[in-house]
Amino acid sequence: MRHSWWRWLVLAIVIVAVFVPSQAWLSKRISQYKSDYRTPLNPIIMVPGSSASQDRFDTLITQLRQETKVPHSVLKVKVMEDGQLSYTGSIKRGDNQPFIVIAFENNRDGYTNIVKQAAWLNLAFKDLVKTYRFNHFSALGHSNGGLALSLFMENYLPQIKSVTADKLMTIATPYNMESTSTTTQTAILKDLINGRKNLPKNLIVYSVAGSETYSSDGTVPANSVNQGKYVFQNQVAHYTQITVTGDNTTHSDLPQNRQIVLLIRQYILQEVLPAKDRYTPPTKQSRNANSDPGETGLP
Amino acid sequence: MRVLWRLNQRINQWRAMRAITEALRVAYPFILVMALLDFLGQGWLTKTGFFYQIYHVKQWLPAVDLWQQLVQAIGIVINGLVAVMVAFTTGHYLARTYQSDALAVGMTSALAFLTLNVNYMALGDPNRNSATGPSQFIEGNLGPQGIFLAIVVGLVVGWLASHMMKNLGRWWLAHRQTPLSWTGRIAMPLSLILLVTVSIGYALSWLNTGGLNTLVYLTFQALNTNLGHHGLRILAVTAISNGLWWLGLIGPIDVAGNSSVTSLQNLAYAIQHGSGWGAPHPITLHTLGDAYANFGGAGMTLALIIAIGIGSHQARYRRVAGQTLLPNLVNLNEATLLGLPVLFNPILLIPFVLAPAVNIAVAWTAISWKLVPPIVYPVPRTTPGPLVAFLGTGGDWRALVLSLVCLTLSVLIYLPFVRLLNLQGGVDHAA
Repeated sequence: MRHSWWRWLVLAIVIVAVFVPSQAWLSKRISQYKSDYRTPLNPIIMVPGSSASQDRFDTLITQLRQETKVPHSVLKVKVMEDGQLSYTGSIKRGDNQPFIVIAFENNRDGYTNIVKQAAWLNLAFKDLVKTYRFNHFSALGHSNGGLALSLFMENYLPQIKSVTADKLMTIATPYNMESTSTTTQTAILKDLINGRKNLPKNLIVYSVAGSETYSSDGTVPANSVNQGKYVFQNQVAHYTQITVTGDNTTHSDLPQNRQIVLLIRQYILQEVLPAKDRYTPPTKQSRNANSDPGETGLP
Repeated sequence: MRVLWRLNQRINQWRAMRAITEALRVAYPFILVMALLDFLGQGWLTKTGFFYQIYHVKQWLPAVDLWQQLVQAIGIVINGLVAVMVAFTTGHYLARTYQSDALAVGMTSALAFLTLNVNYMALGDPNRNSATGPSQFIEGNLGPQGIFLAIVVGLVVGWLASHMMKNLGRWWLAHRQTPLSWTGRIAMPLSLILLVTVSIGYALSWLNTGGLNTLVYLTFQALNTNLGHHGLRILAVTAISNGLWWLGLIGPIDVAGNSSVTSLQNLAYAIQHGSGWGAPHPITLHTLGDAYANFGGAGMTLALIIAIGIGSHQARYRRVAGQTLLPNLVNLNEATLLGLPVLFNPILLIPFVLAPAVNIAVAWTAISWKLVPPIVYPVPRTTPGPLVAFLGTGGDWRALVLSLVCLTLSVLIYLPFVRLLNLQGGVDHAA
């Protein structure tokens, strides 16, 4: 054994050469698993609009329960102005698609209030994640609730690394407040457009508008809902705009509008609906979810 | 030990045993090439290969696909037909001992083996000869899986054909007063034997679709399903499985259970809780067998190779061990099993079954006493044995230590048997 010392050296080098990269590989794989893993629990977070309480969606939920024949449980959270949370209801064991309604004590309209509501939404959301340990969710916002949800997804959700948003449906959300203008941008729209780069890249967004007259649902101007495209288009994976007309299309009736209930079932609850009830979008703004803006040369 | 040695000597005098050993010796170089190619192909070039992943081969090797297909093509030819080769060499060697026409008998037994693995279901299929149609052979059975059947067929046909040829020649000479031509001497036994094997194969095809081999495999696979959490049952199944490997029934129980339901549940738990501590299924075939009793493949052959390196004086053993070290590192041990051979070697049977069993018992104890967490993260099949537990637990040092303990134990178990084999062959085989 004249050469035994270099044999040991070679052995040592080989062991190190296998061991060290395998460590790097391991930690990468584990974080990959963590990001790929989706909890079975997949709540639908509902945020009501201004002046509405945590009971705003009761009619919708009753309708959904009847039609889907699934007893989705309901948890209601009310966020007080001082950040206190009060819970009513509960998520039943084994219910993987519960509805969680998050409402605010200060449910007034107006820019400053909505910005505050987004922050309160964040408080409630973080507490829910801590309690129920879900890592993905879908969201449904009515009216200004959609604004609070959009602000939350831009400003707060990126900081919660463990949770991703799958789908967002906003119903009659006035992205440009009460303005009917297509050029003037209100403060909230400016904020949303400035922060649009922070939106989750894999999010799928549906913006549903009601139309009583040709220009509004009685409260929110159609043009204001349309401005949402400047926020979501080319930022999220898919952005689809849908306009509903007919019975029950005034602003406050929209959440229990039969067509919108079907849209919720199809897109948010991901049910397979019979062909007659299914909505097939005429056109769909879509964007490759995998392409990185850095790669496509966008600033 | 002395009794074992005498038993070994007795068995080695059997003609059949000598034929098997010799047949495997002849097939060994081909299998070695296959194993080294497999090491490259499965370890470095496929997406799920260990080295492919840790060294990011895709990023620096140009035309990965091309290399992959090249290795695959050679693999299909050698690996896919290894059992046919074994059937040939077994029949060939046996015929030589009977001083019969060895080449003809060898080919007869290879053909007989093939007839047992014809895809009889496809015979009536109109698409049979098109590219998309069913394959004409049950190809899986012609590879390492089929070695046991190949040996059996080689022995039976080798014996039968040799005797038929001899007796036929004698009978012909006695009754016709002229010697039977070489062609006639071969053609007649050949047709008779093929007729018999085709009928057997055809009859079996009514029982199931996969031929004779699949029948055996299905029986043993039934053992494996729903194994549950009972350590003793896992122990028993592993022991039986290893015993079958020793017989050449390679891989009836597929151990790399990364994707079984229990493994997925463990993985989901680990992702939510950050580690495998408290995983819902700590004791499974995967967390015990794959992690601690499969270094080098079934039977802890990596330990056997180390034991040979330490204690063997047999030049041939040392050579085979050195040549098959790399494939063993990535848990591909067919070459070692056939090359030494471990198969049908009564002395090595004991540690081959014992070493994994001891490791499973040790790992079982360690996991039950919560000394180590169970493995929860999937690792590639070709991960070097001692690293499986370490990587599978997400880098737990205790698991690495336990792996090394298991390896040492296995080497210690193999060592006396390897030393016993030093006596074999007398002076002429010694180094």
